[in-house]
Amino acid sequence: MKQTADVIVVGGGVIGGAVAFELARRSVDVLLLDKSLPGRATSASAGGLWPVGEAVGLGCGIIHHQSRAASDGISSELVLPTVFRDFLIRSNECFPKLAEELKEISAVDIEYESEGNGLFFLYFNEDEQRFVETIASGLPGGSKFKMLDANEVKQLEPQLTDDLLGAAVLANEHQLNPMYLAEGFKRAAIALGAQFRHNTLVTGLCREADRVVGVQVGDQVLTCNTVVNAAGAWAGNLAAAAGLRVPVFPVRGQIVLTQSLPHTLSACLSTSGCYMLQKKHGEVLIGSTTENTGFDVSVTAEAITQLCRAAVQTVPILRNVGIKRVWSGLRPGTQDELPILGPMENVTGYVNAAGGFRTGIVAAPLTGRVLAQAIVGETPDVAIDPFLANRFQRSTAAFA
Amino acid sequence: MIRRELVILGAGPAGMAAAITAGRCGIRATVIDENATSGGQIFRQPPKSFVTSDSPADDENAARGTDLRKELASLGDRIELLPATTVWGYFPQRQIAIRNEQGWQMIEAKQLILAPGAYEFVPPFPGWTLPGVMTPGAAQSMVKTMKILPGKRVLVAGSGPFLLVVAAQLHAAGVEVVGVVEAVRRRDILRHFPDLLSNRKLLGQGRRYYRTLQQAGIPFHWGHLVTEAHGNESVEQATITACDSQSRPQGRSTTISLDTLCVGYGFVPRIELAQMADCHVQYSDLLGSWIPEVDENFETSVPGVRVAGDGGGVAGAIAAELQGTLAALAALHQLGQLDASAFEQQRTPIVFRLNKLQKFRRALDQIYRIRSGLLDLALPDTIVCRCEELTRQEVETGIQFGGTDIPTLKVSTRLGMGPCQGKMCWSMAARMIAAQTGKSIADIGPVRVRPPVGPLEIADLLNPQLLETS
Repeated sequence: MKQTADVIVVGGGVIGGAVAFELARRSVDVLLLDKSLPGRATSASAGGLWPVGEAVGLGCGIIHHQSRAASDGISSELVLPTVFRDFLIRSNECFPKLAEELKEISAVDIEYESEGNGLFFLYFNEDEQRFVETIASGLPGGSKFKMLDANEVKQLEPQLTDDLLGAAVLANEHQLNPMYLAEGFKRAAIALGAQFRHNTLVTGLCREADRVVGVQVGDQVLTCNTVVNAAGAWAGNLAAAAGLRVPVFPVRGQIVLTQSLPHTLSACLSTSGCYMLQKKHGEVLIGSTTENTGFDVSVTAEAITQLCRAAVQTVPILRNVGIKRVWSGLRPGTQDELPILGPMENVTGYVNAAGGFRTGIVAAPLTGRVLAQAIVGETPDVAIDPFLANRFQRSTAAFA
Repeated sequence: MIRRELVILGAGPAGMAAAITAGRCGIRATVIDENATSGGQIFRQPPKSFVTSDSPADDENAARGTDLRKELASLGDRIELLPATTVWGYFPQRQIAIRNEQGWQMIEAKQLILAPGAYEFVPPFPGWTLPGVMTPGAAQSMVKTMKILPGKRVLVAGSGPFLLVVAAQLHAAGVEVVGVVEAVRRRDILRHFPDLLSNRKLLGQGRRYYRTLQQAGIPFHWGHLVTEAHGNESVEQATITACDSQSRPQGRSTTISLDTLCVGYGFVPRIELAQMADCHVQYSDLLGSWIPEVDENFETSVPGVRVAGDGGGVAGAIAAELQGTLAALAALHQLGQLDASAFEQQRTPIVFRLNKLQKFRRALDQIYRIRSGLLDLALPDTIVCRCEELTRQEVETGIQFGGTDIPTLKVSTRLGMGPCQGKMCWSMAARMIAAQTGKSIADIGPVRVRPPVGPLEIADLLNPQLLETS
């Protein structure tokens, strides 16, 4: 029987798009399936490219930690393993070239901004200062924080409050437009020969014994040699339908977006209450909560208010600014905050591209590349072993 | 959060009638309206601080508005009126987030009546983003509220009886109305004339407006469209072209000099709050828009949430008033303030009156329905999504790359991501998708709506004590 495609990628967010793009440019016959479900993380995301920042728990990490352990102050336990930090740094290095490639192939400008002041972690008291100093001591030479006192920070970002004590700066951490990144990957993949089907909800995987042979779309079966599960927050459910355990769960993030403003911020800002960045179209994006509320994509007045309060404390001028939109997205969360990549034990024809959590955007270029390399039988540029799904089986076994 | 028995959103004809019905029954309704004074668009008033010398009731509509407003005022304490207050969000269990200059508040309503009214429909056409191009409603607001003239030489174009009203009001206010351009051909009206005769009062009203314009020597162009607006800094000329029965430009064009161009092709219900409340909505081909599904008591699929007036499907001020009354009676019945027999007794005559309006209304809907040609006036470089400044070509490209449903098109082009949330561009985008895919407009679906649906400042959220808790 003729197959629908050699590889079927389920999910047209940044990760699925990146995999499809990298496969298409290796001349693989690939079909990308997408369904814009409410809450998809790519559209909801802030678009911060903060490899070291996210790896050491800034951005949403610290907000989450802060809300979880409000009483004990902040500690450095939210720092992710160095193997993942290095993966993110390497992935982030792909963007300058990738932005040009995507523009050339797909005519999409991903609005990669590398001219900003970088990512600032702003601290307001000595506890927070100690926290960044602890983190800084663990960082390798190239990715060290630059520490600035309040005056130096204010010189760079005049709109910041006078109340701050100082900032730790990661100069190479910038931003882009995550929707355009996904769109660029998708259009480039199509230009390079990939097929794309929108509005196509994959309802299950077709499995024959220890082999995945296709996907189920309603009552239709699409066959292939390899299925890539890039279904974001829904990846766990998709895998479970084929009896596979991919422990991904939705982690809701609520975001506030202001109306378009004149130039207000050059840096991406992270505090213990919110993060903020001004997007290319002028809006200031204020994020974000981290909540385990299942697939509920509603917003709450409490969370929005809290984010706004934190934003105004940091950038007072935002007080009298209009809110254009609030929304929530569902991060594909994992227990250890690392992605779940690559094949699984005891099943063939199946590859995970899942669990992007809060780093899916920055991780997308390298994730796409190493998975495409693994699928076509090349040696991946970076080993994917630390990210295999079987790490969870091991930990379950250890507990048993 | 505060709790209220009955909350009414909108103080136009439907909302006012609902509040009066509640007040008479001894229920203190909370009425929220974005304007400083009640009345909605149709009974729009100048600010209280304005001192003007003209007589307040210049037509039958205004007289009815004065009556309703008086009745509302006579309720005194038996109504909680929150003017200049907007609703920015709907949260589960009939919780409404409101804001005004004092801050914001969440109100949980036992019964909720949405009476948000409608907005004007304008399809994109070359030059429609030039300064000086506005909707007839905007021009009307300027004259009614601010007592200023929108321009010196104004062309009123589009479709529907509202054009006659606005043209007459502009003329009365001293504007030189250089013409009225109506897309519908005169013979399209004659076909439905027997049904229009079912309501001689309304028909007579329309004819009086028409006659006023004729007596003033204002040219009336039946079966014509504005196909382009021209100008450098602002609009200076408009090209009007004859059109066929589907509003497709066909035939001769003429150019008219002007400084203001009013364009509106009827009204589209404001359904954002109903959508946020998860009320089922259905597509009405006749109205060219989505409307909330309601039962005979105007209750939506969400218990305790009712929609009355033009927000539920445009039917005009008289129907809106009757619907508002019916919705309030049903809400009062639910609240246990009206027993079954009193409810039936009060309800029956109003249902009768509402039904009598049906034939006339259906005829108007048929005559003035939005025809497909209107959605094909944009050229490739014409802006389609005004908020995000997307051209027709850019949207076409998005559709070609798989943006063949609204959510996908939105994330791939930013269409509908601006402040208006797709109000202006949805019709055009949906039609473009339909043309490329063969899907029906109903299958393409509406735009997803997110808060805030009205203006909201960060400062508003930081001040959460708008009303005393009671």
